[in-house]
Amino acid sequence: MSQRTDAPSSAPQLFSSRRRLHLSPRYSRVASLASTVVVLGLFVAATFFAPGGVQFRHFFFDPHQMWASLLGNNRGLASVGKGIWTNIWMFCLCEVLVLILGLLLAWVRITTSAILAPLRMLATVYTDVFRGIPILLVFIIVGFGLSELNIGWISQQNPPFYGCMAITITYTAYVAEVYRAGLHSVPNGQILAARSLGLSEATTMRRVILPQAIRTVIPPLLNDFISMQKDTALVSILGITEAVQSAQINAAQSFNDSGLVVAALLFLCMTIPLTRFTDGLIDRDRARRLVAAR
Amino acid sequence: MRERVAGGVVHSEIINLLKGCIVRIIRLPLAGALVATVLVLTPASNALATSAPTLAQCQSTINSLEYHPGTLTAATDLTNGVYEPWFVNNKPSNGQGYEAAVVYGVAKELGITASHVNWVAEPFDASYTPGFKHFDFDINEISYTAERAKAVSFSTSYYNVTQSIVTLKTSKMVKAHSPSELKTYLYGDQIGTTGLSYIQNYIKPTRAARVYPTLQGALTALAVGQIDAVVLDTPDGQYAASAEVTNAQKKLIATQIGQFPSTGEHYGMLFAKNSKMVACVNTAIQALAANGTLAALQKKWLSIYNAVPSIRP
Repeated sequence: MSQRTDAPSSAPQLFSSRRRLHLSPRYSRVASLASTVVVLGLFVAATFFAPGGVQFRHFFFDPHQMWASLLGNNRGLASVGKGIWTNIWMFCLCEVLVLILGLLLAWVRITTSAILAPLRMLATVYTDVFRGIPILLVFIIVGFGLSELNIGWISQQNPPFYGCMAITITYTAYVAEVYRAGLHSVPNGQILAARSLGLSEATTMRRVILPQAIRTVIPPLLNDFISMQKDTALVSILGITEAVQSAQINAAQSFNDSGLVVAALLFLCMTIPLTRFTDGLIDRDRARRLVAAR
Repeated sequence: MRERVAGGVVHSEIINLLKGCIVRIIRLPLAGALVATVLVLTPASNALATSAPTLAQCQSTINSLEYHPGTLTAATDLTNGVYEPWFVNNKPSNGQGYEAAVVYGVAKELGITASHVNWVAEPFDASYTPGFKHFDFDINEISYTAERAKAVSFSTSYYNVTQSIVTLKTSKMVKAHSPSELKTYLYGDQIGTTGLSYIQNYIKPTRAARVYPTLQGALTALAVGQIDAVVLDTPDGQYAASAEVTNAQKKLIATQIGQFPSTGEHYGMLFAKNSKMVACVNTAIQALAANGTLAALQKKWLSIYNAVPSIRP
């Protein structure tokens, strides 16, 4: 809500303001609160009054099991709270790698030089292939395949190394496309103007194109990163005990899925701030564009 | 394989269930004498039921107890494939393989002809969740455990199972596997298996075992050298070492170095919680044990497992 009010009032208002034209802010706030309560109430009521409601709540929301799953114990329960750190550090590391590699890949793809044609072709094949393969398969091929290859250093790494590698490989392909869209979104006039001012090609890229392009693509980039945060859960296939894997160990141990709900909540704690931040950026960006349009 | 150690737990759920079944049967006009249950395969693994329906009672009531009245609906993991020696050619209906043969044996005891046995697919992961089941019972090398029995019901044992260790033929573990040496290796296992809990509770290695969502994942990690060994049911281990883990030349590269002492783990057929059919299936299993059919079937299909050497954790 707050970002929306940042938009200048005289800017042309399209869909988002339809409500404001007809309803007072207070009314809309009450209405949204009421509808939220009703919807959530229906959900809670369903778990309370359904024939299997008791089992459902016990199976997914048993407080003792949730607490034990969060902390783990020495009777075989894994700690979901400890597992989530694996997701967090993998995500942080991969994010940095993907941001850099994705940009390089996008850069290659937008070059026009004839000499770079084979490189461009490779980059195109790369994005096509790795955007097209389910990430789970990339995990298996990288995680087990590289060990199988037996080529010294790279074949003797830990599963988390291969996990990061697989995530980076896949998401670089996605992110490169996002970057490329951003780079293409910078009007040609900007480039011509920069070049006519005597800036070299590299400086034009660095000082003129990139700043504009990256600002445009930050929301879609963050979108990809939210998705990446969740995909760190898939590394469990390589034998890495991260949050979801820990929860599954506990589910198998106790035949109670409350640990999975704990993992879900921890993931929400990770993704919701980023989601809100992305939404804020989108709103801010939109407001700025509306000003520019004015 | 498949999940936690049972120990000598008294199966109070099953007893309650038997009581329920008995009450039903007493209401029937042909209520006969209630027979005391004989402990079937091992004392540790059997429900201490005090009484159970007779075969004759079961034969007359079985149709009304079935999921599809008139047909025995048996489930196994056809989605992911079922294998020898439990089934042959992924086709349970041919009656070949130990588990298929046991199911047709049970059906025969209950007076159900083979043509009235229908097979449906049930993935292993879905089998032990609570709630509605679209089959009479699931037979898929599922180990009984007290925890699991809170969500579903189990028959008594139709096979007692031990844990065994599988490693690469090139591993130093082949020679060095004293109890103290076993602790020094890096293990891997499938999530939720008795093999995994055996590692944690009995072997107690110095490095935490790696956990994989599938047994295939653990065996792949073993094959590519990311882990030293996998602990799994003797039958699964035998299959892994004799058929699954191969190199590019199709040469078998794994070996089953030994089996551990029994912890009372056994396979049971899995039913929806409090299914009224459990008591009758138990009666049938008991009859199969008493007339020597189970022993004969084990000799026919499972004798390879007895040949695995014994080792201690």
